[in-house]
Amino acid sequence: MPNVNKRRLCGEFRLSDIGKEVNVMGWVDSLRDHGDILFIHLRDRSGIVQVVFNPAKSSADVIDLAGKLKTEFCIGVAGHVIERENDTKNPVLLTGDIEIVADELEIYGKSPALPFAVSEKAAEQGEGVIVTEPVSEEIRMQYRYLDLRRPSIHDNMVKRHRVCKNIRDFLDMCGFVEIGTPVLTKSTPEGARDYLVPSRIHKNKFYALPQSPQLFKQLLMISGFERYFQIVRCFRDEDLRPNRQPEFTQLDIEASFIDEEFIYELIESLVVKMFETGGIDLPRPFGRMPYSEAMDSVGSDRPDLRFGMYFKDVTDIFADTGYEIFKQILNRGGVIKGIKVEDSSGMLSKNVLQNEYAKQIVPSFGAKGMTWMRVVGDTLQSNIIQFFSEEEQAAALKRFSAKDGDVILLIADMSHKTVASALGQLRLHIAERLGLIPDGIFSPVWVTGFPLFEETDEGISSTHHPFTAPERKDFNPQDREELLSLRSRAYDLVINGEELGGGSIRINDSELQHRIFETLGLSEADVEEKFGFFVKALQYGAPPHGGIALGLDRVVSMILGTSSIREVIAFPKNRNAYCPLTDAPSQIADKQLDELGLLDFSRPRNIPGMHEEKELMDSLSWLSRIGIKDEENNLIESALDDAIRLGSVMKKHAGDEEPAFSTVKIENRYRNGDTARVCDLAKSGDLLKNAPSIKGGFFKVANIIE
Amino acid sequence: MEKDFVYMNPDRRSREENGVFSGPVARLQPNMSVEGWPCDAGSAALENYVALEDATVTERLKEGDFFIKGFTRMGELGFGLRGDTAAGAVCGGKADIAFLTDTLGESRVAASLKGLFGYKPSYGVVSRYGLIGLVPSMECYGIVSGSLENISKTVMIISGFDSRDPSTDESPPDFNITLDMKNPTIGFLSQCMALLDEKEKEAFRASLDIAREAGIGVVELGFDDFSLMADVHNVIGSVEASSSGGKYDSVRYGHRAKSDNNWNDMYIKSRSASFGSIVKAYMLQGGYFQYKAYSDFLSACRIRARILQKTNRLFEKADLIVMPTSRRNLSIDIQYSISDIYKTFTFSLYANITGGPAVSVPGLAITEDTDIGFQILGPIREDRRVLSLASILTAAINRKGAK
Repeated sequence: MPNVNKRRLCGEFRLSDIGKEVNVMGWVDSLRDHGDILFIHLRDRSGIVQVVFNPAKSSADVIDLAGKLKTEFCIGVAGHVIERENDTKNPVLLTGDIEIVADELEIYGKSPALPFAVSEKAAEQGEGVIVTEPVSEEIRMQYRYLDLRRPSIHDNMVKRHRVCKNIRDFLDMCGFVEIGTPVLTKSTPEGARDYLVPSRIHKNKFYALPQSPQLFKQLLMISGFERYFQIVRCFRDEDLRPNRQPEFTQLDIEASFIDEEFIYELIESLVVKMFETGGIDLPRPFGRMPYSEAMDSVGSDRPDLRFGMYFKDVTDIFADTGYEIFKQILNRGGVIKGIKVEDSSGMLSKNVLQNEYAKQIVPSFGAKGMTWMRVVGDTLQSNIIQFFSEEEQAAALKRFSAKDGDVILLIADMSHKTVASALGQLRLHIAERLGLIPDGIFSPVWVTGFPLFEETDEGISSTHHPFTAPERKDFNPQDREELLSLRSRAYDLVINGEELGGGSIRINDSELQHRIFETLGLSEADVEEKFGFFVKALQYGAPPHGGIALGLDRVVSMILGTSSIREVIAFPKNRNAYCPLTDAPSQIADKQLDELGLLDFSRPRNIPGMHEEKELMDSLSWLSRIGIKDEENNLIESALDDAIRLGSVMKKHAGDEEPAFSTVKIENRYRNGDTARVCDLAKSGDLLKNAPSIKGGFFKVANIIE
Repeated sequence: MEKDFVYMNPDRRSREENGVFSGPVARLQPNMSVEGWPCDAGSAALENYVALEDATVTERLKEGDFFIKGFTRMGELGFGLRGDTAAGAVCGGKADIAFLTDTLGESRVAASLKGLFGYKPSYGVVSRYGLIGLVPSMECYGIVSGSLENISKTVMIISGFDSRDPSTDESPPDFNITLDMKNPTIGFLSQCMALLDEKEKEAFRASLDIAREAGIGVVELGFDDFSLMADVHNVIGSVEASSSGGKYDSVRYGHRAKSDNNWNDMYIKSRSASFGSIVKAYMLQGGYFQYKAYSDFLSACRIRARILQKTNRLFEKADLIVMPTSRRNLSIDIQYSISDIYKTFTFSLYANITGGPAVSVPGLAITEDTDIGFQILGPIREDRRVLSLASILTAAINRKGAK
């Protein structure tokens, strides 16, 4: 029998092993039956080796047993290594010069038919490329344990480990200590919704899962650790986005007696090391860009600097324009900005500019419209060029240094924010469409000088969080104008338009902290209830300190160039924050709810009073995505009253029969899904005939990715 | 006549104009797909929708040389009878038939109100492919006609296995009417009798007497769960409606409302405008069970399982179960709440829950002002039995009338 204690890894065999007796263990990656002789690719965590079952060389028992093998059986083989015939060597496999002739075989675990192929290497020589078969992500996640066997994703996990190991080694070298902080904790003000855990002992009270260990790491600074880090799981119950997980991993760092420069130096060295794991050399030093400049030049606080197309302000050029739309916008204090797309008039036809961009795409970015001008020779062409004077045209050409073949795109609006945001999205859209974003380039940049506060409907709130230090302390909490102009000591790390992390120098002065709370409109009682423990701690000699947190899933995903962060998480949730593998979240038994004192929460309480009723109706309207008109309120309210009543009748009268969902036997009569079949109606395009809106052979819908 | 139709077959080949044509005439509802016809299922959710292919039933009708006259008016997505004109459109001739979507018993109740036969085949014998419905586990094509023979011939043509509808049986049951049943026994339910008013009771008892005279045994049966029937249907039906209504998202077809540029807004506004208030309320009831009280839905399905078991036991004591089809003084067109609709179908929805065949016979249970219909229910796939008894009883009334 194969001996586990003498096991060697499949991927390590080379010509020098010829003649050796060896033991290998792993999974059957693929099989190839050549009549009498059976070849298998045996895969373990190190790679693949070919094993041969040859009736001329192995016993009949072994050959018989080998006949039962199927892909992904877990087996052990004892055998001896031989060199392959020259013409059967496989250059794609590192072990392709040799093969193992099986003398003994043991099947450790069988496997039923697979939901998808695990193997990524074709068994036939010369076809050694990775075979990619599109498999729905839902199925992959449902059988994640099989998905993780696939070498490419297996490798992602190993590389992720390698990145984490580098982080720990490097920070350890710099004197940082990894300290754990609690997972069951108190809700902290990070701005997103908390995941809550009900307490059984303290009825009707809840722990919150941390959105970040913000207050704890600041407490650790007060505790004198000076340099702390943690690779920590954080939780946010936010609205669904394609590349977001309800739980995510963050590299959390905090240090005392430091300033921004320390953070920049430390993080740049660290991030460069992390990217080296993926074979990427990041240029140092990282760029720095004040928030205001980022907004002015690319319209986003996450600037993608891999390409140009920076904004130019042309408000002054059109100050006295005869063009009515611009005139009205400027009269009301508006602004006009634009970008130049070089050598693009071939790709951006009048039709594309007017019908796609001006009419559809730019309005979807929130602006009312877009003005375009194509440079032809040394003049400008546009559908509205007749409204602009020669001076204005000349000035615009000069401002953009535009030449023949360039296209100038302008957005005008009363709101400076709208112009920045719409033009920023337009810049990215055009760059993406025209392929102006170079591959393999990484442009890290620190964005700094964020506003400390931002205006909201309710008043003023912190741009980051209330513990961020302001650039100066001598502000007047009552002076709104002044408050909104204040800068913070926060910084974000952005690479290629993606925010990988952010942090700040914190407030270490309890008097200042109180003034910030006052500015935010928090009463003494609010402060006491929410962060009393923390404000108290600040009084006991808090050192100057600051830190940062990096989104580890995102960084690793960028390093490995994966299509989503789910590819670098072993057991991710899907886009709906659901785990197809374990079926979490799931219902729980009434008994459990009862223990937690939550039984009353398990169903909408049918108490007289509009509030609950309205909440139930709103919630169902949202979940069902069916809007309710005012005049339908009464009818639907009474229908829901009925539903609640019906529910209790059902509960009362149900026995323990298995639920019947149909009166006929449920059996699958659909064809096997082994080959793709395109419906004739789709082929002919008839399927699109009933669509309310189509575009270029596709159904057209509202934006799904926000 | 034409006001009963929302769409008329543009092919003018009608019996009036062309003496050669002799095939029967069928009326469909606009949720039964006919290629190239506007199939809006009576709902804004399918505004401007034109069917791309024939439903299986349509296909088989065409092959069977039926003339499809047009689409009658229907209640939204076949839920209830408000505004429905199918049975009215059939009054003209005996050879005519109309199809109704039978979700709660619409075909039988509509037939009883017009003095016609209304028949719901066993679930799974007629393909629902191309039927745009709301409650998949309980709805099916119902047939209304003045002639049982025609009903029997029609269902033979449209029934049978369809690979495109996984709920269809491998082979259709027997639909041949026989007048030679061996000492049949029918049972009526005491719980059902208790729900009738005096006049209805009197009319129903009179119809039992006619049966006895025709040599049929009559027994009284008990069924405690009968009072739960409408509630079970409501819970399960609303959940299926909410679920099957999910496809009306304004992407591939239907009504797209003006919305801000975001998908949720698009869905909410489009779906708000797509559904009428009743269907909307029904789907939100379903949403309540799906999102807030799923275990109550499971309870309803458990009760449904018990109803199926107990019904099987009832059919060990009687060959067929009988009860009225509808009530006196129904006002179909001024309903509006879901519970009002359910009251209309108190007796008919039982067969939708069990999937068994049922036929409503006119002329038997008549109060002074209304024919409440005499409903015959059989075990699943015993369609022949219900049609045959209907035929025997109809012959008995005719004999009586002739005396």
